[in-house]
Amino acid sequence: MRIKIKKESCTGCRLCEQICTIWHYKEINPKKAAIAIEPHFPEPGIFEPKLCVQCGICAKECPVDAIHLEGEAYVLHADECTNCGICVEACPIDVLYTHADVPTPLKCDLCLKCTEVCNTGALTVVRRSD
Amino acid sequence: MDGFGGTTLRINLSTEEIERTPTDPELARNWLGARGFVSKILYDEVPRDADPMGPDNRFIVTTGVLTGSFCPVGSKVGFGCISPATNGHADSSMGGHLGPELRYAGYDLIVMEGIAARPSYLYIDDDTVELRPAGDYWGMGSLELEERMKKDLGEDFQIATIGPSGENGIVFSCITHDFGRQAGRCGVGAVMGSKKLKAIAVRGTKSLPAHDLESHWNLTYDILQRTKTHPNMAPWQKYGTAFFVGWSNERGCFPTKNFQETYHKDWEKIDGERLVEDCLVSDKACFGCWMNCGKYTRARIPGKPDTYQEGPEYETIALVGGSCAFTDINHVAYANYLLDNIGMDTMSGGSTVAFAMECYQRGIITKDDLEGHELRWGNIDDFEHFVGMIAERRGVGDTFALGTKGAAEILGQGTIAFASQAKGMEFSGYDTRWYPAQLLSYCTCDIGAHHSKSWTITTDIELGRDTIEGKAPVVIYLQHIRPLFDTWSCCRLFWGELDVTPEEHVESIRYLTGWDITLDECMRVSERVWNLNRAHYIERNGGPGRRFDVAPARHLDEPIPDGPAEGKVVGRENFEAMLDDYYANRGWDRNGNPTREVLEDLGIGYAADNLEKLGHLGEPIPGGIPKVRGQKLKPKAM
Amino acid sequence: MVIYLRSGGKLRDRLKPDVDIYTRKVEVEGTPTLKEILEQLGIPDGLVAFAFADGKVRRLNYRPAEGDVVTLQPPVSGG
Repeated sequence: MRIKIKKESCTGCRLCEQICTIWHYKEINPKKAAIAIEPHFPEPGIFEPKLCVQCGICAKECPVDAIHLEGEAYVLHADECTNCGICVEACPIDVLYTHADVPTPLKCDLCLKCTEVCNTGALTVVRRSD
Repeated sequence: MDGFGGTTLRINLSTEEIERTPTDPELARNWLGARGFVSKILYDEVPRDADPMGPDNRFIVTTGVLTGSFCPVGSKVGFGCISPATNGHADSSMGGHLGPELRYAGYDLIVMEGIAARPSYLYIDDDTVELRPAGDYWGMGSLELEERMKKDLGEDFQIATIGPSGENGIVFSCITHDFGRQAGRCGVGAVMGSKKLKAIAVRGTKSLPAHDLESHWNLTYDILQRTKTHPNMAPWQKYGTAFFVGWSNERGCFPTKNFQETYHKDWEKIDGERLVEDCLVSDKACFGCWMNCGKYTRARIPGKPDTYQEGPEYETIALVGGSCAFTDINHVAYANYLLDNIGMDTMSGGSTVAFAMECYQRGIITKDDLEGHELRWGNIDDFEHFVGMIAERRGVGDTFALGTKGAAEILGQGTIAFASQAKGMEFSGYDTRWYPAQLLSYCTCDIGAHHSKSWTITTDIELGRDTIEGKAPVVIYLQHIRPLFDTWSCCRLFWGELDVTPEEHVESIRYLTGWDITLDECMRVSERVWNLNRAHYIERNGGPGRRFDVAPARHLDEPIPDGPAEGKVVGRENFEAMLDDYYANRGWDRNGNPTREVLEDLGIGYAADNLEKLGHLGEPIPGGIPKVRGQKLKPKAM
Repeated sequence: MVIYLRSGGKLRDRLKPDVDIYTRKVEVEGTPTLKEILEQLGIPDGLVAFAFADGKVRRLNYRPAEGDVVTLQPPVSGG
């Protein structure tokens, strides 16, 4: 499965950012999310969810193999990560995020929590073939 | 302190001193946030003779206990000051993302005083707090400046700005954020401008500490799943507030031609359906909201540049669209853009232009006053020109820069009769002549005429629109419960529209803060705020209080000429009787002065001492004050 | 014929839902307008801002068809 992004349905509420951090860090802090909503205002006036598509390029580039394919997600293992930043640089769509208080990059592990809270259909779960 | 950012900032703009203190736990518990903080700080700190536009007024930026939390929907930020429109307590709030960002930067409250030596903006990046020169930002439009500052500072900063209107001290200037969210009312933008503060930019990367995060989240998660299927969800997501235009017209309460009429025969050309069909660009939500009532739109008018704006929402459609008699939704949306960018509240701004249009209709102002232009109903070019005259205070624009009451006092000629305002602030978008409880709500409201503190159109329908009986206690109840959301600093609509109960909000606060707090305690805070604001108003303006609870003559004497509410009017006798009933139910004397008994009961006996010194303390009520002030609406049995 | 009315808030108490917490099954004769159906149920039409059916807004002169699900939207203050 994967998360399908329909950017024209995104309203910029950032509930996805909120649930992401509460789920992974048990904290209220949207800046620690592995998803970000990029607003494009005043024109054209739309929001763009920016989220990992699990392409695996980061895993290939990781010098210590801290990013493992588990099921359909490339999961970053914090205990193996040296926070060298190579994956962040390598990401072709700039969706590996960082936060000064977190010792590793912030990477989507396909937990799908964001799709549970999205109420507009901007983030939905689909089978990989869809 | 769980549930709080933890830090209060004190900034003296004159000396550029910036002081950080831990947020006072007692202030937090007794006043809960935003509107409550504003009430207490203004009462304690602002000299009673201070000019609202002078250095001694405070300009407060504040969050509340729920801001930035997971409780639906802690998106709000509040602004407070003594209002230049009413000379009393002002609190005005807006959604968007600024409030949460402040909390994530660690701040609950910012209290500013003095006046900056040069135009400045406040820059906050977590622990870095600086007053920076505004440079060429000064003079820019609100929306243009937000775009510019996002480019200069980064997209992840949240920005609030004022426009030229706020710089020039127009009393109904607003503060704008997120390309279309406004703290519109009370002239908070004028006070921000008087401080020479052009903008506030905030970035926060910290966590908001929570006492029991799991319970806090689980509660919201359940609410989220439950409300997704709520019947009101889909219509709200599609149309937002704009759809109530039709209903309001059919109920005979839609302000038309400066409240001369209450039914706009062309309402279908300016309603929510037209907005969505003709102008919608995207749906837009505040932080953490899954109901997205914001409608981001594009206005297209031949011969004018396309404009992008959020809205117009109901109030703008009513007070710009209806009251200025527009007949094309693109014109209303364009007017919305003009006011947003120039930095005027679309409600008071729309109303003030409509008032001027009626003055023009009656020959009280003429082309000679308007630089050779006209000011015709429903004419967008006339509207645009006149708004420019006000913003730059050119000619007669300088008179209307004072709002309808201030302008009427200068114009004379009986114009005060059709200035639809209370205490110097313009009515919201509901005519009151068939809605006596709404008239009472406007005229007793502590910030001037505003529906957000008490909206009773459906109460009037339930209890009967031709009676005043039983209205006052319901108005009082609403004046406590509705502003409570401005005190918690979260959106009221999940309560009103999606059946999320105030008790659930309180449960959320308990998980967030660890406090053993109840809804009753919160309601007492809200009543405390209301009474302190009343005492403050009397202390600033003299007594007795009743002298200020005045309705415009049009709404008392002038029957509605046509439409569904034809012939309706409240009448002076009824209005005075409602006031009597209202004061009695509040535990105030019949002069509208709060009594010692009620002030002490609410823990603000010091306000009684101050009123007593001034000779405006309410006379003791024989038999004592009511134990419970205010009463929830009990719908009539069917 | 049978139609389904849904509402929340104050209107829900008036509607007396019986299908789920928001929905009431209503039997009507002929093809009445929503206004007539509200009269039949004793719900003051002043408390209904508009109706919503099939993803579109409907006025009170709308005539629901067999099996229609119609949301009644209460008015609100805001904006």
